[in-house]
Amino acid sequence: MSTVAVARPAGAKGHRPAVSRARHTLRSWLLLVAGLAIIVVVLFPVYYAVIVSLEPSSTILAVAPGVIPHQVTFANFHAAWSNEVKNITASLLVSLGVVILTLLIATPAAHGLARFRFKGMSIVIFALLVTQMVPGISLSIAFYVTFNKLHLLNGYPGLVLADSTYAVPFAVLVLRAYMSSLPGSIFEAAEIDGCGHGRAFLRIALPMALPGIITAGLFAFLFAWGDFLFALTLNSSGSVQPLTLGLYKFVTAFGSNWGPMMATVVLAAIPSGIVLAVAQRWISGGLQAGALKG
Amino acid sequence: MNSAPARHLRRRYRRRLIQLAFVGPVIVYVVVMFAYPLVFGVSMSLEAFTFSSLATGFAKWVGLANYRTVFDNPATWTAIVNTVIYTAITLFFQFGLGLAIASFFNRRFPLSRTLRTLILIPWLLPLIATGTIFRLLFAGNGGLVNRLLTDLHIIHSPIFWLDSRVSGMAAIIIVSIWAGLPFNTILLYAGLQDVPREIQEAAMVDGANAWQRFRKVTLPLIRPVAAIVLMLGLIYTVKTFDIVILLTNGGPGNATQLLATDAYTQVFSNLQFAGGAAIGNILLLFCAIISVIYIWSIRRSERQA
Repeated sequence: MSTVAVARPAGAKGHRPAVSRARHTLRSWLLLVAGLAIIVVVLFPVYYAVIVSLEPSSTILAVAPGVIPHQVTFANFHAAWSNEVKNITASLLVSLGVVILTLLIATPAAHGLARFRFKGMSIVIFALLVTQMVPGISLSIAFYVTFNKLHLLNGYPGLVLADSTYAVPFAVLVLRAYMSSLPGSIFEAAEIDGCGHGRAFLRIALPMALPGIITAGLFAFLFAWGDFLFALTLNSSGSVQPLTLGLYKFVTAFGSNWGPMMATVVLAAIPSGIVLAVAQRWISGGLQAGALKG
Repeated sequence: MNSAPARHLRRRYRRRLIQLAFVGPVIVYVVVMFAYPLVFGVSMSLEAFTFSSLATGFAKWVGLANYRTVFDNPATWTAIVNTVIYTAITLFFQFGLGLAIASFFNRRFPLSRTLRTLILIPWLLPLIATGTIFRLLFAGNGGLVNRLLTDLHIIHSPIFWLDSRVSGMAAIIIVSIWAGLPFNTILLYAGLQDVPREIQEAAMVDGANAWQRFRKVTLPLIRPVAAIVLMLGLIYTVKTFDIVILLTNGGPGNATQLLATDAYTQVFSNLQFAGGAAIGNILLLFCAIISVIYIWSIRRSERQA
């Protein structure tokens, strides 16, 4: 084909003079150093929390913090773990509940919104976009009164329901974007072959959208794991106390017991680390789908 | 009986039913979990809803009386003023710093992808964890911020950051900027990536310097994305709750209350259900106004595209 024969423009890679190439490498190394500096400054608070969590309580704040801990101990983590293990279990149960509820509602909805055309579809999408702008405190006041009537306060089902409000609209929008990108021809072929809508969803859409579903699930987990507002307002008896609420009570009760406090912070940050490691590729795309596309 | 039009109708009916099976649950969910609570909150704020109404479920209609009480309370005005100032300053720095960092990373150099990923960490942390870290940094005795300022001879005695209105708000703002920075950076980076390189290069050939290229080429092209990032940032910032509760709990007095925390204090500490609901609705109105502008700007940028 003729396009193959198009000549390379002069000055393309490989023909660069040596001086320019050297300047180019120097420039990229300088950029790397500057980039590292930005990251070090931005992430310093997190790094400092880790250092403090590893130092014996006596040395924290008494001596100027070093770049590396003066002395490494896991005593703070032992203390944090034994304090919080019940709360961590509660957080895990609530978060897993939210993931299940969210995916059960969001996956079929996203499939429907991606594959079907029907009247009122744009209203549904618009409503999902708008729900993300509702302040949690407005919901929690109404939830408190309604849940009180329905005996849903101070229990897992109520907190799972409330926490799911962070995740369901986001998950539908993200998954819809993902499922819209699946080739429609596969579904048309399946329909011609006599495959029903339910089977097409279970056998074709679900496996193909698995990366999107995993991402949506991870975010649902993270949203629920980080919830503080509903845990605080819907659990006055403290019978279901997630880690965020446990940390808050620890902070307000033992204001300067920094070592175990920072160890608790590190424990609370573990799911964030996992999401960053597993789903980093999807975060940016997910953010845009949930926020920008309607 | 089995005429063609009837079959056609039945098939259409069946298709409707299938569509409803997929999308119905989420519609029910939105109505039950969002629409109903919001309507409930509005009706609560128009009634003499008290602690005993919780048990009886009965409250007398009082019209706008709760809103009058709320607006007569100077604490509400403190919360409104705080919310506006806090939101404006936080947004300005989040966006400015986010745009600066995004522009920096909009260049090719080794490890830039990894570094860009690491910058997401503050956004992924639970806000309560973030707040706890900054409580340590802002601690009056031996906190890193005070130590740094003392070493630089900017201050001579430690500042108790969280114990006064101005320094407490400053601390809350700094934490919010930090927590929201990744969101701004990542979305603005995505916007910058969509700016065609050829246009930049053409401007460079025409002799435009870096600032001119940014002002005259990049900025106009990322305006739609920038508008959306600002609007979303505005919505997320205006309803801030966790950071304030953890850092100052709205105190001293009500000096660092925002609308969200003020509504919380009214309902859950003072058991002023109707008043708290009214404040929640004021915040909701803020969010609604922003949302309308947001959706309008999306529609506009889509029409332009």
